[in-house]
Amino acid sequence: MTATNLATASVGRVRVAARPRAARVSQAAVWVVAVGLVVFPLAPIVYSSFLSKPFYLPGSTFTLDAYATLFADPAYWRAAGNSLVFASLMTAIAVPTGTAFAVLCHRTDMPLASWYGRLLLAPIVIPPLGLIVGWFVLYGDGGYLTQIVHRALHLPPWQLSSIPGMAVLGAAVATPIAYVTCRAALEGRDTALEEAASSLGAGPMSVLLSITVPMLRPAILNCAVLIFALGLEVLGIPLLLGGPSNIDMYASYLYKAWTSGFTPDPPSVSAGALILLLAVTTLLLVRAALLGSERRFGGVGARGGRPARRLTLGRWRHPVAIAGGAYIAMTSLVPLLGLVVMSLVTELTILVPPWHLATAGNWVQVLTDPRFQRSILDSVVIGLAGAGLTVILVALATLIANRSDFPLRTLLGPALVYPRAVPGIVLGIGFFWGFLFVDLPGGALRNSLVGELIALSVRSSTLAYVVIYPAVVRINVELDRAARASGAGWWTTVRLVLLPMLRPALVAAFVLMFVAMVSDYDPVVFLQKPGTEVMGVTMLHLWTKGVVGSVAALAVVQLAIVAVVISAAWRTLGRALHA
Amino acid sequence: MPDLRVSGLTKRFGATPVLDDVSFSVGKGQFVTLLGPSGCGKTTTLLSIAGLETPEGGSISCGQVRFFDAAAKIQLPAESRNVGIVFQTYAIWPHMTVADNVGFPLRIRRRSRAEIRSRVEEVLDLVELGGYGGRYPYQLSGGQQQRVALARALAHPPDLLLLDEPFSNLDAKLRERARVWFRALQRTLNLTTVFVTHDQDEALSMSDRILVMDAGRIAQQGTPEEVYRLPATAFVADFVGQCNLVEAVVRRVGDGTLVAGGAGVEFSVALDPSRFAVGARVTLAIRPEDVHLESPAGRNGEVNRFPARLASTSFFGDHFRSEVLVGDLRLAVLSRSRPAGAPIAVEIDPGTISVLGPPVSRSGG
Repeated sequence: MTATNLATASVGRVRVAARPRAARVSQAAVWVVAVGLVVFPLAPIVYSSFLSKPFYLPGSTFTLDAYATLFADPAYWRAAGNSLVFASLMTAIAVPTGTAFAVLCHRTDMPLASWYGRLLLAPIVIPPLGLIVGWFVLYGDGGYLTQIVHRALHLPPWQLSSIPGMAVLGAAVATPIAYVTCRAALEGRDTALEEAASSLGAGPMSVLLSITVPMLRPAILNCAVLIFALGLEVLGIPLLLGGPSNIDMYASYLYKAWTSGFTPDPPSVSAGALILLLAVTTLLLVRAALLGSERRFGGVGARGGRPARRLTLGRWRHPVAIAGGAYIAMTSLVPLLGLVVMSLVTELTILVPPWHLATAGNWVQVLTDPRFQRSILDSVVIGLAGAGLTVILVALATLIANRSDFPLRTLLGPALVYPRAVPGIVLGIGFFWGFLFVDLPGGALRNSLVGELIALSVRSSTLAYVVIYPAVVRINVELDRAARASGAGWWTTVRLVLLPMLRPALVAAFVLMFVAMVSDYDPVVFLQKPGTEVMGVTMLHLWTKGVVGSVAALAVVQLAIVAVVISAAWRTLGRALHA
Repeated sequence: MPDLRVSGLTKRFGATPVLDDVSFSVGKGQFVTLLGPSGCGKTTTLLSIAGLETPEGGSISCGQVRFFDAAAKIQLPAESRNVGIVFQTYAIWPHMTVADNVGFPLRIRRRSRAEIRSRVEEVLDLVELGGYGGRYPYQLSGGQQQRVALARALAHPPDLLLLDEPFSNLDAKLRERARVWFRALQRTLNLTTVFVTHDQDEALSMSDRILVMDAGRIAQQGTPEEVYRLPATAFVADFVGQCNLVEAVVRRVGDGTLVAGGAGVEFSVALDPSRFAVGARVTLAIRPEDVHLESPAGRNGEVNRFPARLASTSFFGDHFRSEVLVGDLRLAVLSRSRPAGAPIAVEIDPGTISVLGPPVSRSGG
């Protein structure tokens, strides 16, 4: 506020009135950090993609050569084509499966529906590399179950390393997204819409087919776009599984071009990353538009307070439940079991019973080798510190965006949503360039865990936002207005009223971020240096050396860390909600 | 000397004016009500006084302190205005006990623990919640929550008390009691109070003065009786209480009366007839309780006595509400007893009819 303002206020008020300017300055600081961390990795990608050489080399000029090089490489087009086929197949499998589960679990009398509903979410928190390894040892081209089926039934073995094979795995990981989206659409809907059809004489099955499923169309379309976009940027699946068949996809092409190219840090990789970024961004903007139209339809009618009347499956009840259970077991539970077994044997083959191949070697190595110990510790430290700092930053940024009169606050929402839309590998390339640009003394960002922490935190910050934002919006504005009228400034209101009320959301956001950060790896594959690997990167390195057993053990450690944190949070949250 | 002075407040939302030249003042210890339908700007006015909304023009001052002055670019932040405010939702912080809620304004002002404790006790006693300090908001009834909100607003004695529909979430019986109780407390504490409501009963029964707002403007201000008896516009007549509005044309002006005809009926009205010219278009406002039902026999031909037909009757416990037809004119009528069936007659005292509409001085152009 202006000085004239202070002069007019009575003496007792001056001290209090000085606060808004301080609040404005600190709000600006939060804004700069939140928006800056998103712009920071993206701007250098654009810049370096138009250079003839990496910017740190002398004699670099502005040119389109990087794009020309990229487009002249047949492997690029092959990888892009593979990604399109993979993403399409993955979407075609995941969306119907997820939708079917949503309808079965929430609109029919299928036994165990609520259990299935919970188990279906498991792939969201299972570390993706662990799941891939689990699939590999069971369903891989020489996998345990592949061999059993092949030998016993004399069927030709399936190929997990083929594009359709990898798409099945991708679909298993993406099914929860379709399930959650359709479930939200079903729960938000007034059940009277279905009851109206029943009362007009429609049988349960025709209600399902003529009302329930057609009304899910906006949700189906919306999750299909999201899943397709995720399919385009997949890195781990082709990197780990595509090897035998020599199939590359977009992200793994960029990864290999970067790590094994003749020139270091080639500009063509920046060009490729920028194209992927634009493609994915376009898809997600389409999705945002679809989401808007879904809300328009979803908003009709009162929210159903009553549980929906469930469709009776009759004699199909048990077969459907068994099929659903088998899907869940085969896609997430059995592979995790395979992962654990793999970590305890030297080799998993049907030729020799596993107990004859039992070994503690994998575990001994993982738990005693200082490199692995450090990698585990680094991951946990990055997860704890990154999640903690990010949750605080995101909470403050969300409050500034929604509960302040800061002039540029409307940019904060998009800035917090966008990082998740940036493919992990693109973000990694961007941070690599960014850290080179602001070359701190001694490469403090490039050569330390701090750089990896920042990249992983930015990548997962959207997760914190999607938990915190709805919680902020649910807090009635009058609650902070009451604090302001009581004499509290903006920061005091945040500290004493808003943050304490957000506590459950902050804990949930912390857990979600921690889980994501411990499992994440693609933003840091270009940032790690020997001695600063996180678990995911260590697993990638071991995998390329063919050490499957230790990778499995490390994946089980990752899984255990996630499980411990989630169950601890469950208890804390339960208490917090009681208080 | 007025304690609160609001002058020329304006604010627009796009092309729609939210506040359009809102000016009024409130004397020390007065209870002034902003009354109007939702969207009329009453809450925006209240929040502007509290510093929680920023108008585009005008000024607000309280005592010697300038809260807001658009011309001088003064905007005292909400936290520096020392107003107490009670919101419609009460806005009690769910994570704090009653005592923490009430003590909050004192804690912000860095009072000692002991001082806070004794003041909180004192204020809780004042709102009849002594001993409730340790409870959490969810353990309280709606009426108790409302009093916690009031206690919090009073804890650091405010220069000004602002109330935004504080009774609207209470059930009818409790609301009645809360009004009486609160008005007595306000008088005792001699608190300058601005009250926002859309409930005319609340406004009429509690206020020293009522400001009726419509589409961002103050349509009329006056004592409750003035506003009810002498509505200035058709909007006020219709919004404050129920009213029959009859479009009419002035036929004759005479000695202290004016005769206006509408829908084939001629009404005599007792008022200073020099304000209206013959031929002027006016609106007559007739309160349903001022229309008396009579038996058709008897003193026919008297002033404002018309034969009528009964169209419908509804029972409301303490009164009947009927619709009668005088010729083609439909009138609402309140009566203590059930009207006898048709035919009947209605009679209206010329002194109870208000004439709304362009007086001579303004309709000349």
